[in-house]
Amino acid sequence: MTWWHRLVHRRLHEEQLEKELRHHLDLHTNDLMGQGYSPEEAQRQARLALGGPEQVKEMCRDARGARWLEELLQDLRIGVRMLRKNPSFTLVVAATLALGIGANTAIFGLVDALLLRPLPIVKAPGELVLLVRGNGQGSTLSYPDFKVLRERNEVLSDLALYTQAPISFGNNVRSEVVLGAMVSGNYFDVLGIKPAFGRGFLPEEDRTAGTHPVVVLNHSFWQSRFDSDPAVVGKTIVLNNRPFTVIGIAPAGFDGESPPMKVSLWIPVMMTATMRGEIRHDPLSDRQDENFGAIGRLKQGVSITQAQAALETINRQLELSNPLPPEQRLNSNDDRALRLLSPQGIMMGPIREMAVTSSRLAGATVLTVLLIACANVANLLMARAATRRKEVAVRLALGATRGRLIHQLLTESVLLALAGAMAGLLLAYWINQLLMAFKPPFPPPFNFALDLSFDIRTFAFTFLLAIATGVIFGLVPALQASRPDVLPALKDESNAEGQRVRRLNWRSALVITQVALSLALLISTGLFLRTLRYARQIDLGFKPDQVLEVSFNLRLQGYDEAKGREFYRQMLDRLERLPGVQTTSVTNLVPLGFMWLSTPVVPEDREVPPNERVFAGSVSAGSKYFETIGTPLLRGRDFTAQDTIKSPPVAIVSEKLARRLWPEIKEPGEALGKRLRVGRADSISCEVIGVAKDSRNNIFNRLDKEPEPTIYRPFAQNYSARASLIVRTDGDPRGLISAVRREVAALDENLPPQNLQPLSETVSLASWSARTGAAVLGLFGLLGLALAAIGIYGVMSYSVSRRTREIGLRMALGAETRDVIKLIVKQGMGLTLIGAVIGVMLAVAATRLLTSLLYGVTATDPTTFAGVVLFVIGVAVIACYLPARRATKVDPMRALRCE
Amino acid sequence: MKPKSDLPQGTLDLLILKVVALGPIHGYAVAQRLEQVSRGVVQVPQGSLYPALHRLENRGLLAADWKLTATGREAKFYRVTRKGHTQLETEAAGWQRLTQAVSLILKMSEGGAG
Repeated sequence: MTWWHRLVHRRLHEEQLEKELRHHLDLHTNDLMGQGYSPEEAQRQARLALGGPEQVKEMCRDARGARWLEELLQDLRIGVRMLRKNPSFTLVVAATLALGIGANTAIFGLVDALLLRPLPIVKAPGELVLLVRGNGQGSTLSYPDFKVLRERNEVLSDLALYTQAPISFGNNVRSEVVLGAMVSGNYFDVLGIKPAFGRGFLPEEDRTAGTHPVVVLNHSFWQSRFDSDPAVVGKTIVLNNRPFTVIGIAPAGFDGESPPMKVSLWIPVMMTATMRGEIRHDPLSDRQDENFGAIGRLKQGVSITQAQAALETINRQLELSNPLPPEQRLNSNDDRALRLLSPQGIMMGPIREMAVTSSRLAGATVLTVLLIACANVANLLMARAATRRKEVAVRLALGATRGRLIHQLLTESVLLALAGAMAGLLLAYWINQLLMAFKPPFPPPFNFALDLSFDIRTFAFTFLLAIATGVIFGLVPALQASRPDVLPALKDESNAEGQRVRRLNWRSALVITQVALSLALLISTGLFLRTLRYARQIDLGFKPDQVLEVSFNLRLQGYDEAKGREFYRQMLDRLERLPGVQTTSVTNLVPLGFMWLSTPVVPEDREVPPNERVFAGSVSAGSKYFETIGTPLLRGRDFTAQDTIKSPPVAIVSEKLARRLWPEIKEPGEALGKRLRVGRADSISCEVIGVAKDSRNNIFNRLDKEPEPTIYRPFAQNYSARASLIVRTDGDPRGLISAVRREVAALDENLPPQNLQPLSETVSLASWSARTGAAVLGLFGLLGLALAAIGIYGVMSYSVSRRTREIGLRMALGAETRDVIKLIVKQGMGLTLIGAVIGVMLAVAATRLLTSLLYGVTATDPTTFAGVVLFVIGVAVIACYLPARRATKVDPMRALRCE
Repeated sequence: MKPKSDLPQGTLDLLILKVVALGPIHGYAVAQRLEQVSRGVVQVPQGSLYPALHRLENRGLLAADWKLTATGREAKFYRVTRKGHTQLETEAAGWQRLTQAVSLILKMSEGGAG
């Protein structure tokens, strides 16, 4: 007989059990009557011999085993009935849990998207591996190395190549810059995906450089830009000012192998030189050009470790034959071993690291909030258990075992948790919308597209969390409530002294926990707020306010150098004449923009050993650059219109660079007139004509770190096709945006202006982690504190209601209102203070996790600690005062009579 | 009145199996038979008889059918399944070995005392 059978035939079994026992009793009674007992006495004896019928039945039911489902259904029925009987209690508990569980669901959804989710759409994502050389950055291979790895390995069924680049896309109406990828011909085959329309790449499109301008479009890109028109396959579109034939549309949901970056179109890797506008340099034959990434599929039965060992052997041979010393390779990593990573979540090295740190932090935070919520609910349950002791006692007396009772009480709390989880899911959806507002402000085309929609994993997580939560907050109250001291309960001695003390102790422990946890959360928040304030006070070395930025990549548009110089000259001319503009200039690197160039700088008057070589940020600056960006020149002169490609090469160095190159100088002015070379030792020598104040201009450097040395060269002598114009205005730079757009269109209507925004927005990326940390922790910290305050209030109210009689007595004996309030508040403050001490210790331990995200403040900043402790104590005083005041309103006569 | 001994742990199931193995029988008859056969030495609390029967049924050692008794009432008759017979044999054999060993030891200690 299966458990299922048993469940379905439950009623039948109950009837049969009843019948069997009745049969027994009747026979026994008959026998006893045969022995001469009176009918009444015989019946009594028979009953005594068998034992309590309900208890026997219960034991028989137990003996049948596999009763868990039956019992579960029964418990669920009872549970639902109990919860419906107390709708306000249910609502309060479910709402509290919804906050705790919802926060956890939201963060899990985020962590899932950031770190765990396998690549969507592709076939068997578990078999895919990314090949990364060195310390985990995205693209680390050269095309020649890729070919060797692909041909020689015996562990991968195939290996594909990709490299991403911004591509300018024109469709006559509006041109824009999108993220494109150049991929090897087998790319889609390795991933195991088929185009939704059209075809993928053909073998001949993967053979000869520059001969096959074909493109596969991203599905959502095709939907938004081509109105989902299937007829676009076979048509021609314009990319980087060249015609390309659309051959296919990728399947919906596929955004490339490197989420969260969303690739809009795929082009054969053979077109790389064309797309990058390279004329002299062939990226496909250059072993120094390590801007390619590779993704492979493991052969059946090959583990990732085996494959890594095999590929690393090939990589080592490649390294031995690499003609260049490590520091001259484009990516000069110390450790150039090949590693295999399975693509999960976001794979870009530095962002993933940041995501891992933030996820740990956010996870710890929301878990803490959930614990506080659990403590609150446990408190409520215990208070209610006191009123349910009679019910429990009756059930115990009727033969329910303690285990069975705990089981049933836990079912109730899990039910509550599940109700909370349902509401929590809605809340999580809303929190995630909010969190997306905090996504890192990468400039386009690097769209940070994160899919936060809930998948089956999120639902499973929430469900399991709810069950665990139900058990956690339900266990202690269930153990308490089911304690089998039947008699006093039935006699309604609910105020038995021992009972009260014990229960209050549990509740006190919960309050202490809550205070400690919310204190730790708030201290973390405080530290982030301090970091944020410090970030505002840091002297950046430039003044981003009132500056407008607009960037171009003329190479994408097919401009040659002469045409590009002319374009920038005319644009500057036009911008300068706009109303409200003070000064304008041009530069290749906007300070704290999402890009950085570094170059070795060599002083001419002394020999520098290779390991002491100085690297400096390499900035090309037009005339009036320093005035426009707001970096003071300490000594010497600015670049002027007289510094041209024909005049002697000059440079301005930052103070830090001057001191690095010439350690002997005492005063920055002494660097003037000295000569240096930029790049290799055989490059042209420049004369230092100025020294600028240090600028914190490198986005990849933390704001509190020392500014990096920087070398500035005249834009005219160091042309860059990718450049930004900067405009210092009288007021809000936003007001100029549409005028700038008009001026750009007037010069070239097909040229997309990028990052057309105030410089202050661009630099906000630098303080993103501090802002996000403060916002997220602050939100959850306050939530935790609110829950803790409710908890303290609840416990104090409970305690006051228990002590009504005592308080009445005291007042009848002449105690003042103040004395009574003091009495109650003192009790609450005792708990709060213990909680505060534990909380401070917790915070000291927890803030270690934060160290990498904080600056300008130590992780044990005394001001923050003291401030938060005072704040929490203040909240606790209020939470104690309210019930205390109510206590004094007690009419002594009624209080004395109330029992 | 003779003192009645409690059943050693786990032997109740074995005794029930043995009694039922003699032929289909209902619960009350099992209780009576146990008491008669053991000549009142073994005390089977009726309260634990039924849970034991149900436990054995659940384990598949006993099966049950509803039949009419001699007096024309419907009653639940238990019988031993094939699995139950095997179990009975192994447990009975084990019990034999155990009692022999125990009495052997007891005799030894008697000899030691005498």
